[in-house]
Amino acid sequence: MKLFKLILLCLFLFSNAYANTIYDLIKIPHLEIYNIKTDNKLRYLYAKQPFTIGLDNNINCFNSRKKDLEKKYVIIEKNLRRYSKDFLKKINLKYIVLCEDLSISGIGTAGIPDNIMKTLIVDIKFNEKYFERVLHHEVFHIINDTYKEIFDKEIWSSFNPSGFNYAKCSTCTKKIGLDTYLKTNGFITEYSRSTASEDMAEVFSHLMYGNIPDEIDPILKKKIEFIKKGISKIDKNFVL
Amino acid sequence: MIEKIKASTSEKIIFIFILILGLFSLTSFLLLKDRCLFVKNYDPEKIKFKDPSNIAILNVGCGNVIIELYPEISPNGVARFKTLIKSKSYDDVAFHRVIKNKLVQAGDLEFGKKGNIDYGKIGTGKSGLGTIKSEIDKEFDYSKGSVGLARTQKYNTEDSQFFIILQDEPLYEGEFTPIGKVIYGIKVLEKIKYLDKSEYVLRPDFINSLRLFN
Repeated sequence: MKLFKLILLCLFLFSNAYANTIYDLIKIPHLEIYNIKTDNKLRYLYAKQPFTIGLDNNINCFNSRKKDLEKKYVIIEKNLRRYSKDFLKKINLKYIVLCEDLSISGIGTAGIPDNIMKTLIVDIKFNEKYFERVLHHEVFHIINDTYKEIFDKEIWSSFNPSGFNYAKCSTCTKKIGLDTYLKTNGFITEYSRSTASEDMAEVFSHLMYGNIPDEIDPILKKKIEFIKKGISKIDKNFVL
Repeated sequence: MIEKIKASTSEKIIFIFILILGLFSLTSFLLLKDRCLFVKNYDPEKIKFKDPSNIAILNVGCGNVIIELYPEISPNGVARFKTLIKSKSYDDVAFHRVIKNKLVQAGDLEFGKKGNIDYGKIGTGKSGLGTIKSEIDKEFDYSKGSVGLARTQKYNTEDSQFFIILQDEPLYEGEFTPIGKVIYGIKVLEKIKYLDKSEYVLRPDFINSLRLFN
């Protein structure tokens, strides 16, 4: 036992300070490169071990099996390659972190965007049915956070039916349904009713995924135009 | 009368072994003490350069490091580097951040000068010339020996600090302004003093001089 402790002590004493480039850049530990040779220069990283980050260590995510990563990477890359290198630079998105069972303060979430660190953490096991659309939803949060003045919440809220108020935060409500309404009434999904920013992200993701209902009400029509105009202000070449 | 005792064979073997061990220890001690022993010191005068106006000679403890600068990739970054070289600002400045086999970083002109080091602030000093914009749009292969300008967590905060990488760092492309690449003498940098437990070096090695070739 003593010998074992001595060996452990020696290993500790003689191991070098391991400087992790990825950690230096985006402050998330235990990540490795999945693929960085992409046309739009997005860098895909994956969790080699579970990691914990955030204020009070409230963000957790776990490593995935290689097979799951391979399967989901194809889907994620297919969707995110629609954003050009120039557009991604304008919105401050560069790193995609792939992991599973992502949660913030114990609440499961599809993704955590951080435009300051140019990072989007994606839960590769999030709801299969909406997975692709939700990717665009999360990208919109990056866009919104980078261009708050373009996607003004007050202007957006003014489109809503009179008397309607959003919840105080996206997790402060039970309105979390992601099914697209067949009959819209200013909102495209139940989750749209949670906050202005989630509402915008839902509209944007439907536009990107191409599943806007055939019949849309005048409020939703205004919202769609607002998103389209906002995106064209950032990049007039962006195809929405 | 003193009786002469002959040494046995085993005693002779032990004596020879101890003698060899002693000699080995002595030579090892002398050799290991000279950390530059197996490091080649390049003489820039004996090398023909394609573009001598963009060659910088960094002289440190174990010899010369010859850097080729790339003004076509980062005109402002290289211009700033050259300005500080011409004013001899980098002389006697510490390699304050060194990570074994990964990178060496120097260039804190405010808190990293020999005789005036401030360990509490080193790495945060300024040149007095102001910051410059990041030049990260052009493609650049951050392979071993690449030289880049250091910055804070924010872009457009490059000033005088620079780093040289001792291993390939593909993720640095698009993050840091590249200004050149070491073409001779990378081994000299591998001998720069580092600490096992910290990136920031107490009693660090210093740049002797940094000059432009022409």
